[in-house]
Amino acid sequence: MKRQRIFAFVKIQLKSLIKVPTALFIILILPVALILIFGFAFGSIYVEDYGWTGQDGYLFEFMVPGFIAISGLFIAIPVALSFSEDREQGLLKRINTTPTTAAEFMVSHIISNIFMAIIQVAIIFVLTFLMGAMRYITLTGILLSFVIMIIFTLSTIGFGLITATVSKSAKAAGGLVWIFLLPQQLLASNLYPLPPETQIVTMFMPLYYASDALSLLFFGVDLGNLRIWWDLLILVAFSLVLIIAGILLFKKYGRA
Amino acid sequence: MNIMSESKTEDFKLKFGPENPNAIEVRDLVKIYTGRKVIEEVRAVDGISFSVNKGELFGLLGPNGAGKTTTINILVGLLDQTEGEAFVGGYDVKKNLPKIKELIGVCPQQASVYQYLNAKENIELFGNLHLVKKEVINERMEKFLNLLGLSKAANRAAKKYSGGMLRQLNLIVALISDPAILFLDEPTVGMDARVRRATWDFINSLKNTNKTVILTTHYIEEAEVLCDRVAIIDFGKLVALGPPKELIAKHGAKDLEEVFLKITGRRIMEGL
Ligand SMILES: Nc1ncnc2c1ncn2[C@@H]1O[C@H](COP(=O)(O)OP(=O)(O)OP(=O)(O)O)[C@@H](O)[C@H]1O
Ligand SMILES: [Mg+2]
Repeated sequence: MKRQRIFAFVKIQLKSLIKVPTALFIILILPVALILIFGFAFGSIYVEDYGWTGQDGYLFEFMVPGFIAISGLFIAIPVALSFSEDREQGLLKRINTTPTTAAEFMVSHIISNIFMAIIQVAIIFVLTFLMGAMRYITLTGILLSFVIMIIFTLSTIGFGLITATVSKSAKAAGGLVWIFLLPQQLLASNLYPLPPETQIVTMFMPLYYASDALSLLFFGVDLGNLRIWWDLLILVAFSLVLIIAGILLFKKYGRA
Repeated sequence: MNIMSESKTEDFKLKFGPENPNAIEVRDLVKIYTGRKVIEEVRAVDGISFSVNKGELFGLLGPNGAGKTTTINILVGLLDQTEGEAFVGGYDVKKNLPKIKELIGVCPQQASVYQYLNAKENIELFGNLHLVKKEVINERMEKFLNLLGLSKAANRAAKKYSGGMLRQLNLIVALISDPAILFLDEPTVGMDARVRRATWDFINSLKNTNKTVILTTHYIEEAEVLCDRVAIIDFGKLVALGPPKELIAKHGAKDLEEVFLKITGRRIMEGL
């Protein structure tokens, strides 16, 4: 692995997020918009004994962890698009004729997307803080939230790669990626209480573990609470499986 | 005109592998694309043999679908051959691909650059992928951009380039590592006559840098103007091989088009 190559890729990938309007919109503007809209809509509705934490708080406060997790999932869209666009443009083949290894290429994508995830979470935290909806989370909780989202980003990249593999074109990828996004957002985001029966499905969704752990941290649950660590452990397992599956599938079937 | 300040000819020789003495050699090369059904099988390359000497500018001339790109893609490691052997820079493509990748530069038929990046960013990226030093990248980049008249547009995103400019950028990207062996797959497609001539001059000037260049084309004039030797291929088979002038003389033709016509009964640019 050569640093010069990885740096070069990370540099252009981050540039793409700024220069390609869809990517910028999806990764940064959309999450900010969600926070602002829901913050103003539900920021003053006070609910008691809400959700499974059984706590009191503003409705918006219960939703923020879900928004963070959902925003992380959005990263799958530019990932799926960039891999399928690079393939369409013949860039993957061209890169393949240089001494670049597949590992260098993938690692660079992981680095740049994790970087974006960190920026995303930081922006949401700042906004939420300014809106006064961060009353219970501790400093350790905030740090752990970043760790959770960094790990979750791996599964997001995995979803993006699997989408790019099965899509014939970038256009198709932009639509197909919603197969992964929508069910998770609707069922596993913790934005609103759902009947416990949905757990049969949500237990297979990495978003569930991310948003569950974030919710616990947001409501200042003690770090000794095993549920957080279970969530984290399962999330690590999911993320590793998904990113490895994504890389292998893409390498085998998705490059040409 | 010597466009490379530091001619690396000697280094090249050191880096060439021991498995074959030629810059490029293919023996009885066959590529069959397989589909799900037998009728979908395409014999794109059908038993081609030729070798390219070091420092030679070698052309693969043939009509659409002749198997030029397929041959190139086998040589640069993008496709596995079905049968036969292929050597690049003294290495077997089946055994030592990583070594080959350090020696080659590839200009693909499809202009493949990042559309949202400008020319400089694209060139720099590929320089970095070949681990070229930053100063060297900048120095070469300036030179190439100047020579091809792209300097003014160098900070504009590639998606705003005209077709011809995009092809020129495609060419520069292939050259940034100062490769010992250069593959140019239809480098001048989509260029107007003036830009094409400038690009021919540019490619011609590469001869002084002791590069080996293998170029595919279906432009007769391009093959005649540039190539030391041409291999004419048709339906995956090699139908003639030699210096353009000799081929023309041998067949009593006036140009390579007529040579092709005399051998195959068809025209290379049929219907165009
Ligand atoms: N991936 C593929 N699957 C099946 N058949 C293919 C594939 N790629 C190329 N072919 C077929 O192989 C033959 C040779 O194609 P190739 O692209 O090598 O020709 P070419 O000489 O480069 O033509 P052109 O001048 O149009 O670029 C054609 O009949 C083409 O249809
Ligand atoms: Mg071709």
